[in-house]
Amino acid sequence: MSALDDLEFIFFHLMPYAPLPDGYQQHDSMWVDYPNSNFDPVTGHELYKRYWSELLLADKLGYDGVFVNEHHNTQFTMNAAPNLTAAAIIPHTSCRIGVYGTPPNFEYPNRLAEEYAMLDVMSGGRLEVAFPLGTGMEYWANSVNPATARARFREGLDVIFQAWTQPGPTAYAGEFYNYRYLNPWPTPHQKPHPPAYIVGSGSEETVELAAELGLGYSVVFIPTSAQLKVFDRYRERLAHHGHDIDRKKLTFGVMAYVAETDQQAEEEFMPHCMYFFETALKTTPRYLIPPGYVTVPEFRKRISGPDVHGNANWDDLTAINRIVAGSPEKVADSIANWAEEADVSRISLNLALGDMPHWKVVKNLTLFAEEVIPRLRAKKVAVV
Amino acid sequence: MKATEGFEKLRLSVNGTDTVVLTLGDAAAPPLVFFHGAGTFHGWEFARPWASDFRVLIPHHPGFAESGDMDGLREFGDFVLHYGALFDQLGLHGDVNLVGLSLGGRLAARFAISQQHRLRRLVLVAPAGLRVPSAPADDLFRIPPEQIPARLVKNFDVLLPWLPTDPHDLDFAVDRYRETRTVATVAWDEPFDRVIPRWMRTMTVPTMVMWGDDDALIPVGQATAWADLVPDSDLCLFEDAGHLLLDESPAAVRAVAEFCK
Repeated sequence: MSALDDLEFIFFHLMPYAPLPDGYQQHDSMWVDYPNSNFDPVTGHELYKRYWSELLLADKLGYDGVFVNEHHNTQFTMNAAPNLTAAAIIPHTSCRIGVYGTPPNFEYPNRLAEEYAMLDVMSGGRLEVAFPLGTGMEYWANSVNPATARARFREGLDVIFQAWTQPGPTAYAGEFYNYRYLNPWPTPHQKPHPPAYIVGSGSEETVELAAELGLGYSVVFIPTSAQLKVFDRYRERLAHHGHDIDRKKLTFGVMAYVAETDQQAEEEFMPHCMYFFETALKTTPRYLIPPGYVTVPEFRKRISGPDVHGNANWDDLTAINRIVAGSPEKVADSIANWAEEADVSRISLNLALGDMPHWKVVKNLTLFAEEVIPRLRAKKVAVV
Repeated sequence: MKATEGFEKLRLSVNGTDTVVLTLGDAAAPPLVFFHGAGTFHGWEFARPWASDFRVLIPHHPGFAESGDMDGLREFGDFVLHYGALFDQLGLHGDVNLVGLSLGGRLAARFAISQQHRLRRLVLVAPAGLRVPSAPADDLFRIPPEQIPARLVKNFDVLLPWLPTDPHDLDFAVDRYRETRTVATVAWDEPFDRVIPRWMRTMTVPTMVMWGDDDALIPVGQATAWADLVPDSDLCLFEDAGHLLLDESPAAVRAVAEFCK
């Protein structure tokens, strides 16, 4: 079996609040303390309606799934509570719905187990979830201690999986959470629970946690070469903990834009991609790593590495990340190579990036579905 | 950068935590223990004059400077227990003069509340952790780290020898991260101490509250609130000095020695 034999195409919509009113260039961070007076609810209303239509279009075009994520205090996404978006689109879709996801540290874990179970039951078993620790920025926005975040995260996951896999009522006695009667209704439609991933940026602790619990691992925000090392490490640790190595347990992200020619695709895509890296992701080292968010050795590693939050040029970006803008052939070839190189078949596609207007998102979603996906499906190696 | 010349360095294991204590002065002299604040980069020069009258002991808190991290650290109470055990190991059962600066002042106050039988004098230098609505301090974690040095002193020259020449010095940044991480562990959820306002009045050790008039980190307006809280207390303010009062004011250093004699 090759990664090309069972490709899955997931449309990942960040649902950003863009474009922004003038003056944003003066802010050091577009997260945490970028004033929410820059949010206009009337514009926001139009954007939610637009983004729902794009998510529903992806479903109609045959994507395997549409996924959304969660962040706080930021223009980066309008999904402060992605379960609400998932609930809004479930009745109008038939594809898989991914919530990638609510950090368990920012809700009570029994409630998160309940909300995800509700979505799974509502959708008839179409839910997939990912559990992020939450970026450093979220810890400035929520009342949770970053220095004990990883210990709390671990307990939250234990509570959620206990709630999903052990018939209730049970009890849970931890350092952060104590449940006398853990007995959430409803329980998930999929058994034992919806496909579940840990989402992270490659830190050893997070990879180890996913491997230990036998959960999937979904990686964000680090260069391709670093991702490949993380994947190897994850597979090695997964085996070490006695879990099957299943290609479905890994996901990699691609930023792609398809147009009639390579040149046209680059011209249409580049400004939005640059906006994404220079503006939407822009923040300060302090917000990225609040006190105690990472171990001391990990801190040293991170501040010695490149800064991807707010510094960018097109050639560097495309050289080190999975970013492709081009004709259907070019995009399909790039993705096929990446999938084989990583031996991963689940592809999370950022096809609506930064301040991209609606017409480009529709064009990109449609061309990708009609011209790229068939080309990739045709690359199947195995004889079925 | 850490000028510890002349100090003796004790290395102890306190309930599993590697702990370094710098000492200076005659081992038979009355003990004066100094609890440092949230950053240790500015050294211990201010403490040298005390060695003529005292045995000066400067423990590095768990998670700071040369001491190791404490497994399971969650709250200030863990530090209090750590110091109870450390004092036992050092034979500091009574007649201790305890001086605490800033975060170390909060810790000294917490220690004094439950361990006052060990203390002869308590000195709180611009202590942190009290909610004073009439003179609020900025939340330490909201201040960008690059702005902190300038807010520590009135006269910046005092601090210059202790700062790296390269503002991007990796080791310096890592050391500050580690210490701030320790502070966050105990103070992120509880920037204001819950125990001190409730229990400080039960502490009867003679106490001096000291503050620099130009403290840009914790306003001098908090001084009276502390003095009001401590039953047997003197209040001493010093002109032309900021938060690192002892680094800036030789008069303040002398006042500590006088008070503890």
